[in-house]
Amino acid sequence: MTDNNVLVRVDNLVKHFPIMRGLLQRQVGAVRAVDGVSFELKRGETLGLVGESGCGKSTTGRAVLQLYRPTSGSVHFDGADLTKIKGEELRAMRRKMQMIFQDPYASLNPRMTVGEIVREPLIVHNVATESEANERVKQLLELVKLNPSFSTRYPHEFSGGQRQRIGIARALALQPSFIVCDEPISALDVSIQAQVVNLLEELQKEFNLTYLFIAHDLSMVRHISDRVAVMYLGVIVELSTRDELYSHPLHPYSQALLSAVPIPDPSAETARQRIILTGDVPSPANPPSGCRFRTRCPIAEAKCAESRPDFREIKPGHFVACFFADRYL
Amino acid sequence: MPELLLDVKGLETTFKTPDGIVHAVNGVSFGLKEGETLGVVGESGCGKSVTMLSVLGLIPSPPGKIKSGTAHFFGRDLLKMTTAEIRQIRGAQIGMVFQDPMTSLNPVLTIGRQLEEPLVVHLGMTRAQATIRAAELLAMVGIPNAKDRLSDYPHQFSGGMRQRVMIAMALACSPQVLIADEPTTALDVTIQAQITDLVKRLRSELGMAIIWITHDLGVVAGLAQRVIVMYGGFIIEESTVNDLYANPTHPYTIGLLGSLPRVDASGHETLTSIEGSPPLLYEKPTRCPFAPRCKWAMERCWKENPTLETIAPDHRVACWVDVKTGRAR
Repeated sequence: MTDNNVLVRVDNLVKHFPIMRGLLQRQVGAVRAVDGVSFELKRGETLGLVGESGCGKSTTGRAVLQLYRPTSGSVHFDGADLTKIKGEELRAMRRKMQMIFQDPYASLNPRMTVGEIVREPLIVHNVATESEANERVKQLLELVKLNPSFSTRYPHEFSGGQRQRIGIARALALQPSFIVCDEPISALDVSIQAQVVNLLEELQKEFNLTYLFIAHDLSMVRHISDRVAVMYLGVIVELSTRDELYSHPLHPYSQALLSAVPIPDPSAETARQRIILTGDVPSPANPPSGCRFRTRCPIAEAKCAESRPDFREIKPGHFVACFFADRYL
Repeated sequence: MPELLLDVKGLETTFKTPDGIVHAVNGVSFGLKEGETLGVVGESGCGKSVTMLSVLGLIPSPPGKIKSGTAHFFGRDLLKMTTAEIRQIRGAQIGMVFQDPMTSLNPVLTIGRQLEEPLVVHLGMTRAQATIRAAELLAMVGIPNAKDRLSDYPHQFSGGMRQRVMIAMALACSPQVLIADEPTTALDVTIQAQITDLVKRLRSELGMAIIWITHDLGVVAGLAQRVIVMYGGFIIEESTVNDLYANPTHPYTIGLLGSLPRVDASGHETLTSIEGSPPLLYEKPTRCPFAPRCKWAMERCWKENPTLETIAPDHRVACWVDVKTGRAR
């Protein structure tokens, strides 16, 4: 890849978790959490990754960062294939890519002070002396709009929104270029969500950060993303620019998903046509043959069970994996 | 004005905790008309669930205590009833659905057994009659092969199916009122759409009144006729659904609506976040509970707590400031 503008390129990423049974712990199957996912992230952009619980969006995020080693496929970051490197080399790459977690209660060590938490990446990667690190912690806390004097306090003294800011400060400590945000606002109250999202947007502008923003809240993803990918049962079914995807969804799943999101406006709510999907998402341990969505798809035909539709570029920049997407063009 | 089905006046509930008394509900009054759907909106800790649990006599005491108030239902005060008396009402005349369908169902009893229980207890059916009725109820909430599934256990149902079972159970005795506490919060959006669709259908078939507690202003917009907004244990705004979204009047309601991105927006919207975080309620507020976070707060807001005043037909708000002019009301 020669395009300098691309920071992360994911090719056919697969992550299967083995299912073990019996005394000998033989592998009897696999949960196909991520089953062939490809996308690119340009420098400074936000790619939203949406889908319902269990669709593999978080696993994708972790596999990109090599927190799970992918089963197959490649992840090119800044020129290097992360799936091929390990040890010290990978550790050095990790400075440039960080993660913000969903649960601000579980992702901060309750026995460490805020200062220690934010400082830890600097010490672990040996990039700052003690006094430099202290100075940097102060800057970082100010950056996320927390009082620097909070650095001696413990996480339990903070509210959910404040804790999420601490997690963001920690992620920024090593001046990364790429951050995976895994449902960073799902655990927060509505009035606090906007605070955190606004902060993420400001930081992105200031440091030219690239975000992979994973969430199930389609309204928030629309708000923060430049481009959006929709996942279903381990595969990306549609990917396009934000406005294109939200105004002209071409995959039947994206259409149903978008129509299901409630709108905080009674007149818009009564006016709209909702596509109600029947049934539930099948198990990723035993996904349907062919198209993953065919068991719930309102327009499925025999062909959909036979082969998996290609993830094709139907319009410039608009990718979709459906045999019949042309109907909605 | 039609007769009120449920008439709650001056409800106050406190909890004793190791850190002090928490004033969860601080004088809440509202009415529910026959056949109407009332949305109760607010963030975690605003007192919306505690209000309904108090009315139903489901507050564990100690640590909880209902300090004052009345809740008249068909002329009788629910708050004065003995445990035995209120049991006759709960599940018979007032049905309930809770947030987490997994913890609300007994994991070691079959779905059939749990569905039959209210029929036997409240309606005096025999087991055989109850089994037939239970299968009808399951079919009514859209569960395929209802008769066969009666012998299944809760873990054999998906989250959405379990919530359907909960709804079937709540409606088993044809209650006049259904109280639903965040019934779709734990579910994915496509499943949420299935459940709200189901509730709308059952509402028009059975004609019960519904109290729908949620933090999601989007769900309420499509479902409720009237909405109550709660903050810090108080009702701060009450209106018809259309007027609330068209003319939000309390600064908190305005902030809440402004902090919500819309899935049908065009272009990029700026989110107006509400700074600060919700009150802790260790003291009974003597001033406006929202004053510390309010852009419009005046001197009076720090001294006196405003009461609900009618500002338009069917629209009441508790605020000293007229936000449109920025002056005292």
